[in-house]
Amino acid sequence: MSDQRTPAARLTKWLVSAPPLIFLLLFFAAPGLIMVLASFRYPGEFGGLAPLVADPGTLHGLTLETYRFFFSDFIYTEIFLKSLLVALATTLICLVMAYPLALLIARSPKRRRDLMVLLVILPFASNFLIRIYAWMILLGPQAALSLMLNGLLGLFGVAPVHLLFSPFAVLVAMVYVHLPFMVLPLYTNLERHDPALLDAAQDLGASAWQRFWRVTFPLSLPGIFSGSVLVFIPVLGMFAIPDILGGTRDMLIGNLIKEQFLGTRDWPFGSTLSIMLTLAVLLCVWIAARLGGRRPHHA
Amino acid sequence: MKRLLLAMLLWHAGTALADDVLHLYNWNNYISEETVQRFEKQCACRVVQDYYSDNEEMLAKLAAGATGYDILVPTGNALEALIRQKALRPLDKARLPNLKNINPAYLDTAFDPGNRYSVPYAYTLTLLGYNVEKMRELKLPTDTWAVIFEPEYLKKLKGRVTVLDSQRELLAAALKYLGYPANDTDEAHWKQARDLIIRAKPYWAAFNASSYIKELTIGDIWLVHGYSNDIFQANLDAQNARRGFTIASSIPREGAVLALDSMVLHQSGPRPDLALRFIDFMLDGKNSAELTNLIGSGNPNLDAMRYIKPEIAQNPAIFPDPQRRSRLEMLRDLDRTQRRILSRIWTEIKLR
Repeated sequence: MSDQRTPAARLTKWLVSAPPLIFLLLFFAAPGLIMVLASFRYPGEFGGLAPLVADPGTLHGLTLETYRFFFSDFIYTEIFLKSLLVALATTLICLVMAYPLALLIARSPKRRRDLMVLLVILPFASNFLIRIYAWMILLGPQAALSLMLNGLLGLFGVAPVHLLFSPFAVLVAMVYVHLPFMVLPLYTNLERHDPALLDAAQDLGASAWQRFWRVTFPLSLPGIFSGSVLVFIPVLGMFAIPDILGGTRDMLIGNLIKEQFLGTRDWPFGSTLSIMLTLAVLLCVWIAARLGGRRPHHA
Repeated sequence: MKRLLLAMLLWHAGTALADDVLHLYNWNNYISEETVQRFEKQCACRVVQDYYSDNEEMLAKLAAGATGYDILVPTGNALEALIRQKALRPLDKARLPNLKNINPAYLDTAFDPGNRYSVPYAYTLTLLGYNVEKMRELKLPTDTWAVIFEPEYLKKLKGRVTVLDSQRELLAAALKYLGYPANDTDEAHWKQARDLIIRAKPYWAAFNASSYIKELTIGDIWLVHGYSNDIFQANLDAQNARRGFTIASSIPREGAVLALDSMVLHQSGPRPDLALRFIDFMLDGKNSAELTNLIGSGNPNLDAMRYIKPEIAQNPAIFPDPQRRSRLEMLRDLDRTQRRILSRIWTEIKLR
């Protein structure tokens, strides 16, 4: 312990941690601050921002108008709630699908685990957009899946359904893209569990279900938490998937923000929406952390 | 060793010749490769192209400080913005003798009165594209926006229609159908258009600005609100794939949007002399016609008509008769307040 306090060690510590710190400061804190400032300004005529200082008579300076605009209409709150629901649904489906898989990998013989983990991350080898476009083909009306489903529905006299360009397509792709982000933290957590704990529980007469619910599950809560955060947050900001696979009512908050910066050229309102989104995310994570943080004490 | 030296010498001579470089910032796939090569030969220079896929992208890149482009090809409303930002060089028309080839109907627009900065390059129409066989089979009209907005027609097309994912374009179509100008900025009319769109929306498959070409080509979508060049491309693809059906386009009788793209000189361009030579070269009928023959774009060049393939030159959805042409409108830019109001209406449309 004592040699960590030598000047040389301290210097090393700073040298090692400085690059990531500077990176965060430059590419996270500074843009965040710029965004906060932008949200209090007027939009420029051709995009960008109106000047802070200019001749009287032209629009300039600071204003609260974007925040007033946000709260003047329930529609923006509505789109937030809708995006939160989609993110929540994606996270839950990912969790239900990833848990058994992570458990399977964690309990496999050591030499097979690496291969299985590799298979989980293999989809990252191809471009994200290409994988989304692949879903367009898989869900299209002439694809086997649609033909089979509609054939089945036809037997019961139900009108054919369109899978592509629907909320269903959006959810499928969201789950598909984000599943590895749930599997990996869960696996990392489950792999570290001491098998002796389960043996002990069994010796004390716990059934298979009890061993899972009272031993494995509570111990895996940190894994569930980090996996859920890794899925929930990117889904909340996603705009490409609803753009490509969504139908006529699948706009999410990410699409709205993107549109403010491109088509509408309204940077201040786009910044306001982004800040609201950040606040919403922080609130959700805080709630989840409190819930997740408490559980092990009760268990 | 000798040969290597010789090669290096030749290479060096080559680059010395190619020191004359024209930087062109253009739409994707918006000039024929042969045209570029011919110009390079004629001017003994090199053309370097950068591409954009919408005006906002181009404006954003320039706003972020991109420089060195001799020529840009903005659409009307972006042209207006560039002029107001004082980002363009006035044209020396004495060096553009071929300007006489341009149809006066496309000169002196509201975006650049007197064409001080811009010369028309090509135009696109926003219109109806459809699967000819399917529409005939369903006995649906193809010359009115009603087919995209009225449930009585749409119920036969449920899930087979896409509209552009563009606030301005879709609003313009709805306004035109309601009998208002495409550039109408009356909020009450916008709300009428919104209600029309929300009523039609359950029958549409998607708002789509990118993949509808493919969807038309493979026959999953039968009717689109889309751009004339894209629909032309969809038909070419369908024919090449021997799909057994035809994709056609038509200008609805209520009128439609015309987007005129023009060549302009950017202030930051180092070679205005080469740029003017290029513009005059592109105003030559033969060179101008090559683009139309490649992508089916509208052509404002009268001299080009004799070089354009007859099936394109005679297509009334690309070269409309004077009566239809009088119903075409170019979209003006909205101010920031209008943009914000329209964005809210658009959000409502998307959410309902």
